[in-house]
Amino acid sequence: MKRKLLALILALGLMGSLAACSGGAPGGAAATPAPAGTPAAQTGAPEAGGDQQADDSDLAYVKDKGTLIVGMTDFAPMDYKAEGSDEWIGFDADMAKAFAESLGVQVEFLELGNWDTKAIELETRAIDVVWNGMTLTEEVRSLMSVSEPYCLNGQVVVLPKDKAADYTTVESLSDLSFAVENGSAGAEQLDELNISYTATQNQAAALMEVASGASDACVIDLLMAGAMIGEGTSYPDLTYTVQLNSEEYGVGFRQGSDMTDAFNNFWKEAYAAGTVMETATTYGVQESVLEP
Amino acid sequence: MLTTVTLTLLEGLLTTLELFALTLLLALPLGLVISFGSMSTFAPLRYLMKTIVWVIRGTPLMIQILIIFYGPGLLFGLPLLPRFTAALVSFAINYACYFSEIYRGGIQSVPQGQYEAGQVLGMTRSQIFFRITLLQVIKRIVPPMSNEFITLVKDTALVRVISVYEIIWMGETFIKKGMIWPLFYTAVFYLVVNGILTLLFGWVEQKLDYFK
Repeated sequence: MKRKLLALILALGLMGSLAACSGGAPGGAAATPAPAGTPAAQTGAPEAGGDQQADDSDLAYVKDKGTLIVGMTDFAPMDYKAEGSDEWIGFDADMAKAFAESLGVQVEFLELGNWDTKAIELETRAIDVVWNGMTLTEEVRSLMSVSEPYCLNGQVVVLPKDKAADYTTVESLSDLSFAVENGSAGAEQLDELNISYTATQNQAAALMEVASGASDACVIDLLMAGAMIGEGTSYPDLTYTVQLNSEEYGVGFRQGSDMTDAFNNFWKEAYAAGTVMETATTYGVQESVLEP
Repeated sequence: MLTTVTLTLLEGLLTTLELFALTLLLALPLGLVISFGSMSTFAPLRYLMKTIVWVIRGTPLMIQILIIFYGPGLLFGLPLLPRFTAALVSFAINYACYFSEIYRGGIQSVPQGQYEAGQVLGMTRSQIFFRITLLQVIKRIVPPMSNEFITLVKDTALVRVISVYEIIWMGETFIKKGMIWPLFYTAVFYLVVNGILTLLFGWVEQKLDYFK
């Protein structure tokens, strides 16, 4: 009987510890001392701990560590790799490099396997910043310390140029067949308008639907539309008309981080110096950039 | 295009194989330790081991990977393990638990009479284990072990939840470029690796063709 009791207690103890793990909300670790990381080999995970440092300043932590780890995903024109190249480029990637340089640290890009864990990656110091065309939603604001919005985005309707003139209002859209990325902001907009659509795996696939004629139109990000369709792109015959909503892009840091202020200052200076607009023009997003 | 895709996938396959090999290196001996623990005559140790095996086998490996990677940071504010290391630790513990039960089955399948015969001949417990039991155990556990090895090759795909870039992850990156076939193509690589493992296990079984 005693043995069974012991086994039961052990089992409950283990279950309890597991439950605590999975239930742990991000933020619990926010006030802990900053461990200085040393770059680890292998999969490019530099979060291995080094010497402890009791400084609460996140900026000091990053400077001390010597690397700024930028969490992002492959998302042209913000972060992507040119054909045959191994270097991350794009509006966000290039500005992140400039920001790291202004701090005097190396930049390291970490492609997130799972966009949903971005806030946890931040809190656990696996990454230092989320910088990837991130829409500032209520949820994002509650989980991170976000910068001033730096870019304007929205969901736009993309369709072939020869049809564009007939569909310039929201009301006219109902007789078109749509393709849109499953679960995206664009899909949300169509749901609100009660327009049915074919769900695709990503925005690029939605564009292909339209280019191939499988669907009449698609809804994608304004930024992506600006960079991927029209003259001089792979889709010269497509254009965008109606903008369904408006969103703002921002950069996310750990809660309570002093990096946010450092970023806002950096951005103002870079904008004044013309670096921001110059970089934006390179990637075709100049019309969306907000004045700080 | 095929060359580019193949090269990218091979890069992912390298990570997959590395994880596979290192997991085996750690889990094979660890499993033996756990199996001894779960057969111990000291009850608290036995119950502890059985409980651990129950929890590890009873919960999804994906959750274990997430807990081992994010857990220390979220709960205690500790620095995290490198991604690959966290993945390796989860796999080693998980597979050691499965292996321990296979070992236990193998060890307990050796008839009690053989232990008694060993004792009559004046052999110590470790002599009995290494000279009488072990070779028979190895022979008997080969088929169930081959199952686990093959499952392990495919389970490595789970580590992409913590951004370890194994072969499936590499395959998925092409979806953004409008290509789905590279993801399907990864199956060929798994098939080849598991084909080699199958041949290897067939060969081992032949070599162990003693004690008919």
